Amino acid sequence: MKIAAVISLGLIAMLLSITIGPTHIEPFAAIKAAFGIGDPLHVDIVRDIRLPRTLLAAIIGAGLGASGAALQGFTRNPLAAPGILGFSACAALGAVAALYFGLTSWVPLAALIGAALGATMLLLISGPQKGANTLILAGVGVGALATAITGLLMNMAPNPWALSEIVYWMMGSLKNADMDSIRSCALLTAMGMLCLICIGPDLKTLSLGELTAQSLGVSLGRVQILLVIGVALSVGSGVAAAGSIGFVGLFIPHIVRMWLGADPARLIWQSAIAGAGFLVIADILTRALSGPGTPLYLGILTSLIGVPFFLWLAVKGARA
Amino acid sequence: MIRIENISAGYGPCNVLNNLNLQTNAGELIVLLGPNGCGKSTLLKTISGLIPHREGGTIWINNQSLSSMPLKLRARQIAYLAQSRQAQADMLVKDVIELGRAPFRGRLGRISADGRQAIEKAVAKTELSSFLDRKFGQLSGGEQARVLLARALCMNASVLLADEPIAALDPYYQISMMEILKAEAKSGKTVITALHDLPLAAQYADRVWIMNKGQIIADGAPKTAMSEQIISDVFKIRMNYNFLNSVVTT
Repeated sequence: MKIAAVISLGLIAMLLSITIGPTHIEPFAAIKAAFGIGDPLHVDIVRDIRLPRTLLAAIIGAGLGASGAALQGFTRNPLAAPGILGFSACAALGAVAALYFGLTSWVPLAALIGAALGATMLLLISGPQKGANTLILAGVGVGALATAITGLLMNMAPNPWALSEIVYWMMGSLKNADMDSIRSCALLTAMGMLCLICIGPDLKTLSLGELTAQSLGVSLGRVQILLVIGVALSVGSGVAAAGSIGFVGLFIPHIVRMWLGADPARLIWQSAIAGAGFLVIADILTRALSGPGTPLYLGILTSLIGVPFFLWLAVKGARA
Repeated sequence: MIRIENISAGYGPCNVLNNLNLQTNAGELIVLLGPNGCGKSTLLKTISGLIPHREGGTIWINNQSLSSMPLKLRARQIAYLAQSRQAQADMLVKDVIELGRAPFRGRLGRISADGRQAIEKAVAKTELSSFLDRKFGQLSGGEQARVLLARALCMNASVLLADEPIAALDPYYQISMMEILKAEAKSGKTVITALHDLPLAAQYADRVWIMNKGQIIADGAPKTAMSEQIISDVFKIRMNYNFLNSVVTT
């Protein structure tokens, strides 16, 4: 029942997203326009601008939510988020390297290559059967290295425009959403989420601790490999399409856990749905709050929403 | 039935277990005694396949070599109850217990009718029927220990290995836990449990393995294996024979 409410909220948010904008379009007309029916102006606005943006927000939000839930399940640590394994930082490094060399059109591919290299390094360093703590340590190390190199590239930026382009890209935005980016992001995120959903039952067993889970037939090596590949695909494709978007993978699984229960297997797809809905709403807010010529970036907004929530969680935990 | 032939095992280059040879029979409750660090937990982990043993030895579980057994098959035959009582605090008791059926679940994750029956039996044995809808983190240490025991029992495995299951429990829960382990053994399973409580070991064990420095130095019925001399040599204590024979009941 509650999950139906979450799905309904997500669908309403998507409808609002294609309705709201400088040109007001009635909800029914917006739905028709999404299918290419009705006023040609409305069809152009919905199909070329609002629908791609909405779909991309939903796909990226789903990938981030599912990744956060899977990582929190594997590490049995509520502070785990896609950023902790360094994928966002590695994908960002790939994209920043492309921007540094002026290869703007290569940014998405470079981000994916960055995420793939990060995942490979992580698997090589942590190795199979080593468990959650080793994976986190390796992830933090790989992420810190990627962040340091990103900082170095920014430090050595050839001109102020290249630097500003890098900085704006890192704030995260859906302004470049188009059907091509949606297709590639959707395919990669779907593959990633499939990996994560596959390990859901194992994550549930892992809640008994690694030793007991292994005695119940869970292969830590298999879980770890699928987790790294799944998160790298979901997060890497999101960063490639829209830049860095923080905090979604951290706080969405928390909200879902509080509202829908603590099953680590179900939490993956429930967080995917909630993450999709949240990012669509966040994108509506960025559009609504942006002033003329001063766009509010999506990554900034998700952090602005996420940090107070996180502090509230900390206070609530301390009182409990 | 378990047969252990020339088993050495340890962590890194150091051996904790040294060339062990042991055999168990179905229906026995074996209590593993020994001082801290003597290798009790390592032995239980090695038998359950969680630590690989050194080359040259073999562990046979129901006449099948452990090292050649697929992971799922091994999980179905050996129930392992870890020393640490770990489960997700906000998970319901019934969900924690059901995890014991993980090795038996099909691709869709459903629990079979037999599995449901095994869970019901385990819940009844551990007297947890009124706790099923409570969160694991809200239970006392004794109740949590029973939940995790129920998780292991519902596997219906032919071998049950329990690593210090009564540690930090009050006398009532210690005895009820030992009663359950004894009943499991009587039903035809091989039960091996590591303990530190010598009187309870003497009272409940069909057979005692006394370990010291990675070796089994005594193997037999409590009266013979737990002699005053061996207890004194291994634990550096003097044990009153009458105390060892005292019977505690609930």
